[in-house]
Amino acid sequence: MTPLGSIASTVLRVTPWRLERRLEVEARRAALTRIGGAVGAMVLVGIVLLLTGRNAFWIFWQGLDAIFGRQRGIEGAALRAIPILMTALGVALSLRMKVWNIGSDGQFLMGALAAVGVGIHMDGPAWLVLIVMAAAATLAGAAWILVPALARAYWDVNEIITTLLLNFVALQLVTWSALGFWRDKEAAVIQSTREVAHTLPGLPGANSVTIALLVPLVIAAALWWVFRSTTIGYEIDTIGGNPRAAGYAGIAVRRRILIVMLFTGAIAGLGGMLQLSAPGAQAMNAGFSAQFGLSGFIVAALAGASFWGVIGGGLFIASMFYAGIVLQTKGLSVYIIFAIYGVILTGIALGEIAARYRVVRREAVDGDGAQAGDDHDAATERAAT
Amino acid sequence: MILAIIENAFLSLIGSAIPASAVVMLAATGAMLGERVGVLNLGQEGLIGIGAVFSVIAVLSWGVESPWVAMLIGMIAAAVAGLIFALCVVSFRASQVLVGLALALGGIGLSNQLGVNRNGTPIQTLFREINPGGVLDDNDLVSAFLFHDPVVYIAYIGLPVVLWFVLFRTRHGMNMRAVGENPAAADAVGVSVTGWRIFYSVLGAALTGAGGAYMVLSFTPTWSPDIARGRGWVALAVVIFAGWRPGWAVAGALLYGSMISLDTTAQARGWGLPFMGASDLSFFLSMLPYVVTLVAILIPAGAVKLGRRVRSTAAPAALAIPYSREER
Repeated sequence: MTPLGSIASTVLRVTPWRLERRLEVEARRAALTRIGGAVGAMVLVGIVLLLTGRNAFWIFWQGLDAIFGRQRGIEGAALRAIPILMTALGVALSLRMKVWNIGSDGQFLMGALAAVGVGIHMDGPAWLVLIVMAAAATLAGAAWILVPALARAYWDVNEIITTLLLNFVALQLVTWSALGFWRDKEAAVIQSTREVAHTLPGLPGANSVTIALLVPLVIAAALWWVFRSTTIGYEIDTIGGNPRAAGYAGIAVRRRILIVMLFTGAIAGLGGMLQLSAPGAQAMNAGFSAQFGLSGFIVAALAGASFWGVIGGGLFIASMFYAGIVLQTKGLSVYIIFAIYGVILTGIALGEIAARYRVVRREAVDGDGAQAGDDHDAATERAAT
Repeated sequence: MILAIIENAFLSLIGSAIPASAVVMLAATGAMLGERVGVLNLGQEGLIGIGAVFSVIAVLSWGVESPWVAMLIGMIAAAVAGLIFALCVVSFRASQVLVGLALALGGIGLSNQLGVNRNGTPIQTLFREINPGGVLDDNDLVSAFLFHDPVVYIAYIGLPVVLWFVLFRTRHGMNMRAVGENPAAADAVGVSVTGWRIFYSVLGAALTGAGGAYMVLSFTPTWSPDIARGRGWVALAVVIFAGWRPGWAVAGALLYGSMISLDTTAQARGWGLPFMGASDLSFFLSMLPYVVTLVAILIPAGAVKLGRRVRSTAAPAALAIPYSREER
């Protein structure tokens, strides 16, 4: 019926191979095919850039060399990893129950905005100010997802659009703060808020990376433990598997959805404070979040719902990000990063689906088996198209 | 006297809201078309960008002199992007959310990259306003309300009427709804679920592309980066607000559009409030369209929950669920 479908199944029929659906999909295999999809997508992007006369592979290699060749490079990538890891952990937590939090950028910004508000208005010892900043940021992040979370949990309103719309509101609010109510009136040129006086203590041996880098690691460990050893973790996974069954099993599904969504916002919000408390980043402007939420989302999609996978994927994407800055100096606009992200995300999505199939050789079947085998063939081919 | 002022304010608000959200209207219709057959395309934001940038390229680089042809080129480009999307999610059954977001990102990135040397170049090939002239030309407000270019009439009247008629008054439309509600049943009576899903998501993408084309060929009329500015997401919200009914999308789009025109009017006239200066007010008003859109999404769901009788406003039952014969 559909021309495309019949073309695809014809192509499959003339080869001696056919696709067969796997009965069970192992998590490890799915992770490998997702990574394969992402790498394949990057190679594709590299080839396209090569065709437009830019040797992306060489430039990328230079970028990686710039990172791992020197301490400054490693620290540069680590600094970018912190906000990406925090937003990614939030998204990964929501994905455990199949809830999409696309608004982590907004929660991140609101967390940072709350931290600036506290930081520029509060007097006191540095440690106390920083703790209050972190608390305010956590609450602000959770508050920013409160309406979408309530709507999702109790009114079954799709959370994708509601969380995303609030990103635009958060960005406007940050712009307002930087140009309006908290504007630094002494700095005439740079339009940003006033600067917070305090920063987190540095990591031993590091020049610019603070103890903020430890926070995502601690959170990942805590989440991993919660999902491995506690009842609530098990309940969340049950809801992710089948919300209706979870309800029949006596789990308060709606309340769990609300709580988990608030936590995802809180983690992203705390990420905003961590970013703000790095030396040299103590004020906010409209460009405060360099699409960290977006990068975090891609990390979470790549990692599935594995929190250690988020750490690995986050460090990888942060390195990419840093290498991408080198790419930008070679005549590519910042926009191309978006396009590359789009291709990578498609690769991840296709990789995820690829784990569900295997290619098997078509075998000659004789006797009674032939009929059943053919039917099965036809069914899998239809499924593949 | 006061009534006249209110009437004037209302007319001028709605009058400028109509062209301001024609893009949203086109994109919402496109999204609704796909969603009715069960395909959720979150990439509207990217499709608007692609439709816009290819229309700009057609006019500025390929010398196209008719806005209709330029719009058609934008629509074709968006349809190609929509076809790639549809192959991924319908044929290969990849996650609609992931690939949709990928299309949003990829479309924004690609269109900004292609438009990078064309920022701010004024477009001369424009849609002309339909104005019979002489009849009402002494009343600016009435003409602002009534007279627009042809695309506006198509977006607000033509498309919703056609879509409503096809969906609810024809056998074809019944099959479309069946594909979105219960694909296994549609499949059983011989409707090709895969084929219909691909066809209507591509057609929907083309409509969204037309929205992008309209922006640069009439509304702005020039290319600037991130041209959609969230309108693609708003369109998706409008579909939810409308409860997947074409006519209600008009109300949703106008609601968003009047917030936008409130913002631009306030900025242009330097409005302020006793407790809020003009610049602060304009920051506040620029957040408002998104807040109002968010609240609007909650209305249908809230009305159902609070026990009001509402005619079916639920999403198509099979929305965003890939169809597979093996698993039905």
